[in-house]
Amino acid sequence: MRRILIAIALCCGSAFSGHAQELQQILQVHADEVAKPSRRSVSVVLEDLVASGLPQVPVFLEKWSAKNVWQREDGVFFIATADGDDLKLQDIDTGGETSAPKSTFKQLKPNGGVRRVIGTALVQFQLSDPDLTRREAAVISIARRPDAAQLAPLVASIEDEPDPALKARKTQLANFLTARFGETPQDRIAAIESLSTDTSVEARSVLNQILTVKSGVSASEPEGNLARILDPSQAPDAFYPQLVEAGLAPAETTPAMIRAVLEANIDGGTVGGVPLAQLNSETARYRAYAALAREGLAPPLVTEDTREYTVGAYVFYELYDEEDPAITDAAATALASVEQRVAIAQTADLALDGLSLASIYFLAAIGLAITFGVMGVINMAHGEFIMMGAYTGYVVQLFVPDYTISILIALPLAFAVTFGAGVTMERLVIRHLYHRPLETLLATFGISIALQQLAKNIFGTQARPLTSPDWLDGAWVMSDVIQISYIRIAIFVLALIFLALILFVLKRTRLGLEVRAVTQNPGMAASMGINPDRINMLTFGLGSGIAGIAGVAIGLYAKVTSEMGSEYIVQSFMTVVVGGVGNVWGTLAGASMIGFLQKGIEWLNPSNTLAAQTYMILFIILFIQFRPKGIVAPKGRAAAD
Amino acid sequence: MAQKLKQTALIAATLMGTTTMAFAECADPIKVGVLHSLSGTMAISETTLKDTMLMLIEKQNAAGGVLGCEIEAVVVDPASDWPLFAEKARELLTVHEVDVIFGNWTSVSRKSVLPVIEELNGLLFYPVQYEGEESSKNVFYTGAAPNQQAIPAVDYFLEELGVEKFALLGTDYVYPRTTNNILEQYLQDNGIATDDIFVNYTPFGHSDWATIVADVVALGEDGKQVGVISTINGDANIGFYKELAAAGVSADDIPVVAFSVGEEELSGLDTSNLVGHLAAWNYFQSAETDANAEFISAWKDFAGEERVTNDPMEAHYIGFNMWVNAVTSAGTTEVDAVRTAMYGQEFPNLTGGTAVMLPNHHLAKPVLIGEITADGQFDIISQTKEVPGDAWTDFLPASKVLTSDWKDLGCGMYNIETKTCVQLTSNY
Amino acid sequence: MNKSFIAQNPSVLWFLAALGLFTLAVTLLSEATGVGLISTSFVKTLGKTLCLCLIAIAMDVVWGYCGILSLGHFAFFGIGGYAVGMWLMYARTEGIVLESLSGQVIPPTPQEISDAIGNQIFGVVGSSDFPLIWAFADNLFLQLAMVVLIPGLLALVFGWLAFRSRVTGVYLSILTQAMTLALSLYLFQNDSGLRGNNGLSGLQNIPGFEATPQATISIVFFLVSALALGLGYVFFAWVISGKMGSVVKGIRDNEARVRFLGYHVESYKLFIFTITAIISGIAGALYYPQAGIINPGEIAPITSIYLAVWVAIGGRGRLYGAVIGAAFVSLLSSWFTGGGAPDINLGFYTIQWTDWWLVLLGLSFVAVTLFFPKGIGGLFDYLVRKPS
Repeated sequence: MRRILIAIALCCGSAFSGHAQELQQILQVHADEVAKPSRRSVSVVLEDLVASGLPQVPVFLEKWSAKNVWQREDGVFFIATADGDDLKLQDIDTGGETSAPKSTFKQLKPNGGVRRVIGTALVQFQLSDPDLTRREAAVISIARRPDAAQLAPLVASIEDEPDPALKARKTQLANFLTARFGETPQDRIAAIESLSTDTSVEARSVLNQILTVKSGVSASEPEGNLARILDPSQAPDAFYPQLVEAGLAPAETTPAMIRAVLEANIDGGTVGGVPLAQLNSETARYRAYAALAREGLAPPLVTEDTREYTVGAYVFYELYDEEDPAITDAAATALASVEQRVAIAQTADLALDGLSLASIYFLAAIGLAITFGVMGVINMAHGEFIMMGAYTGYVVQLFVPDYTISILIALPLAFAVTFGAGVTMERLVIRHLYHRPLETLLATFGISIALQQLAKNIFGTQARPLTSPDWLDGAWVMSDVIQISYIRIAIFVLALIFLALILFVLKRTRLGLEVRAVTQNPGMAASMGINPDRINMLTFGLGSGIAGIAGVAIGLYAKVTSEMGSEYIVQSFMTVVVGGVGNVWGTLAGASMIGFLQKGIEWLNPSNTLAAQTYMILFIILFIQFRPKGIVAPKGRAAAD
Repeated sequence: MAQKLKQTALIAATLMGTTTMAFAECADPIKVGVLHSLSGTMAISETTLKDTMLMLIEKQNAAGGVLGCEIEAVVVDPASDWPLFAEKARELLTVHEVDVIFGNWTSVSRKSVLPVIEELNGLLFYPVQYEGEESSKNVFYTGAAPNQQAIPAVDYFLEELGVEKFALLGTDYVYPRTTNNILEQYLQDNGIATDDIFVNYTPFGHSDWATIVADVVALGEDGKQVGVISTINGDANIGFYKELAAAGVSADDIPVVAFSVGEEELSGLDTSNLVGHLAAWNYFQSAETDANAEFISAWKDFAGEERVTNDPMEAHYIGFNMWVNAVTSAGTTEVDAVRTAMYGQEFPNLTGGTAVMLPNHHLAKPVLIGEITADGQFDIISQTKEVPGDAWTDFLPASKVLTSDWKDLGCGMYNIETKTCVQLTSNY
Repeated sequence: MNKSFIAQNPSVLWFLAALGLFTLAVTLLSEATGVGLISTSFVKTLGKTLCLCLIAIAMDVVWGYCGILSLGHFAFFGIGGYAVGMWLMYARTEGIVLESLSGQVIPPTPQEISDAIGNQIFGVVGSSDFPLIWAFADNLFLQLAMVVLIPGLLALVFGWLAFRSRVTGVYLSILTQAMTLALSLYLFQNDSGLRGNNGLSGLQNIPGFEATPQATISIVFFLVSALALGLGYVFFAWVISGKMGSVVKGIRDNEARVRFLGYHVESYKLFIFTITAIISGIAGALYYPQAGIINPGEIAPITSIYLAVWVAIGGRGRLYGAVIGAAFVSLLSSWFTGGGAPDINLGFYTIQWTDWWLVLLGLSFVAVTLFFPKGIGGLFDYLVRKPS
């Protein structure tokens, strides 16, 4: 049936034009593979296509890769784009355009692996294409699947490359390829040596590929480019299975094997002379097994001692796949130098991550540092102010589609909204509880759960998108190892601005003076003509407003949910307490300490972030025991409380 | 006899063309318990399933109910509180006396409910993909076992994408842990060295992904193709994918396949930077079949135009319809009879093909792999034949010797080496 | 002595009488006696509520009487639950394993039994080795001792460190909160040895009583919980009476003054903190076999804050206040979230209580703090004082 269809298709195809050979024809030969391609087998099709030398091949490959090729029910392929329920069709060979309903066509969806192979096949067409994006695509394809055959065309295309950036990239890639596939050992060694300062993942992968090894075991030292001899006495358990695999030693005797052998050799209530009922201990089983082994009914018992002894009698080694020791030596030297640089860079990157985490904690906690630290009011709803700020950002984005403008609106609006909420809360609740700090804690907690549930009722429990503008997408890449996303840099800058702003307000303005006065002695301040009510209200509003802005920032980099606030609240309190209450610098110190320490612990135990958080909190608990007033302890009269 | 009467009445009613069915004669109404959280952290996922059940029941009643009786839905709210799941299950079975329960999402809630339904001989349909290693006499697992989601996805990575180095990232709870244990063993069996498998666990709702993404990128330093298997759950995915996009990791360089990211989760994200990353499920909304088109339009009519469909919804769709058919063929809602009638039940999938209920209480279902598209949907690029669900994985030594067969062996935890039933209740 | 403290606290007798009547009524109406007016699941709810009342009076003593706002007492409650849960899981699994291994020709070795049990319990989290903390899990009495010892020791060490450094007020609250957060994060890890997020489950099946119907088991636990609550009430009433009580209340009202009077304030605080932690552990050990499952979510910081909320709503500084608060709020919670409360239709919007209950609770909490600092218990003062 299929053959008939193909035959019809071929007839129809040849009726359209008079070419000796057509792309459609070649495709029909491989129709199944084209319709359902696989990474391992698609190369057959590609070879035929490329070998045909038809000019329409590169276009077809690009369209195929972009999922723009459709197959009609009768098997004929078309280049097509969807247009509502219809398809705009383009004949593969003639380019003639038609239109047809979608329902009789099937879209071809080559998967990622196939697309990569197609990309490699396209390289030769694209490398010197007049279109810059095509040339870039070719270079990306080479980088993804480096191949010895690409070296020559790549080198040839460097000369005439007009774009300077792409030219540099081509030269770099050519260097990588030379290191691996260069003609002479001298070329290769030169290329390898030039990589010894390059910390990029690509350069390291080139060196590592040259240095791939095969491990093996033999009775004496092997021939070849030896990488290293391993010492099996450190871990005989790990090396013994290699011997078993190589057929040089009998398999280990596991308890399950012993059991199976014993069960198979039951002889009238006893096994190897041991009564069944006694076989409920390891030693009895060993005894029975040994007896069976002596009779030749079971393989000999391999104990730990025999294992250790056997392992010692063999040489365990690793051999380089590359045969030339000069090249592997050069690569090993280069890699050692690279790795040293990478280690330094990784430390720098870790520090950068720590700095970023510290600035996030600082931003989340700074509002709290004002309300809790300066005013002594413990506000459990602080996290919910962060959440309100984030939702404000989300709502603004619903109305203002331009992300840049919406962020510019959202930041002051978030401040205004949470400032208002903070002032309202202060007037209605906190004002009445200034002398009962523990009750403030509980009352604000009540507000916190009410606000959280309210947010759930309004926005749902699903996370809401808060998208950053394009210029905050991406990362600042110093090298493949050191990089940090722009959004984190923005948060860092925001944190710095707030630090400066708050210091300025508290230390250099009339308001700040009055805040400090009211904090130290409200009665005295009042008699000096300061209105403590007003000051408390404004301070609280300021602290809440900053939480709102922090919310927008945190929402941009992570997510917006009704529970986001509660994730930061405990952390924020600890930041303030560890740093030292009543001092903005203290909060900075606290945030830095927690941020860096957490990253440090994560680095020590990279596979378990949860453990890092646990140890972090334990550390904080202990730290507070020994420095109850925090890193920057208040001095003088303020410390009296 | 009563059965026959009901049928006659049903036929008569249909013949008369009355739209309102004569349900009145049912002395014992058929009750379906819906045990999904409507509040708390799991509400977002589970409320959808509650609505799905109500829609399915409404549709079934419009089509004449079951055994000529109207189905009555009993909805309770276990509030994402695991002990409350057990309490509510007991309430459903003893106070409301429901005939069957459809419910649960998290594994821990299922483990909480298990002792109760086994004690009271209830019947539960569990619709979510899970870690396996369990087979209860009283539960039908209509979601995917690891071999119906994780293993095929890894095969796809190995075969189609040529991945040689794996990063297994997961949230720290039982599903990712068990799945990753199985996958680690499976990868080693397929010749991937232990050094080439990077495992990391993060807490629920984790947001600081910079270091982990950097670690994953650095895995490529030995020139091997890196791929990420993500069992990251819920909200944490948002930060993860954002960081991935910020680091410029494209699906062509380091593909990510997720097992817990579906249409619902993507709606909280701008997916333009994630195009090409993958997810593995038994169902995607984008599946092009008539049944699916009908299901989606029914769902949108019922719940709202902007709502999406997802894999656990399909699981309930199949589970509920199989239960209806089993009850019809058994002629009663009595649990043991229905259970026996369930084995071998077939029902068409929404993605094409037929789902079959196996004697180990799992389904045979096709596995789909989809690429994320810019509009928050999935482009299906691979679809397997029906894969039979495996309660006990073949890739862990302790489970390899176990099998489940409630039909012939009558045991959910049968040791094929010693030929004994380890236990009749399940391991909660 | 006894006479005097009862005389000081006439509420003790009233309370015991009320508790006795309540217990008797529930028992008679339960399914265990065949009346069945109260379903087994509701008996379990009531039994659990009694345990919550017990930890609430512990909280009241430490906060309402001693002025330490601990936001971490649920950690002790959870530890108690885990301690008893370990035995319940181990013993149940051991029974199953021994039965399944008994059919084999060759008798199992102790190692094989232990491996099989480990595999059953920890297979869920992908491991089969017994962690060190399970060393005593096979012994009920040692595990029961853990219920008392571990919360006691933890509270002793934590309290000693904190009180010695003079960490007070909100600082101490945050520190206790950090403690319970650290513990719950630790337990959330799968390698913590206590099955991570899955926790310990199937605790309602008591080993050795497999054939006993849950109706009976639930009523037994209900009675034991009631007994524990009664004893706990009397015990705390005794603790807070007499000189001890006066010093403790003095610390609450003015710590510095009590210190200057020559009392060793730290020791008193440490005693109260530790003893309430132990009672909390006992309450937890009784609670979780009724709940059936314990997992780290149970000791998340929020639960301890709710505990403070109950006590505040019930009325601090009076033991019966704590009992009323815990019972009232937790039962109301389950009524509202359980769909028991009818929805209110406002025409343009329908208030569904599953959505709005937490908003109501949060706001009512603010209202209680602002306007009724004495809580519900304050109403009794009003009633008692009126005739005079």
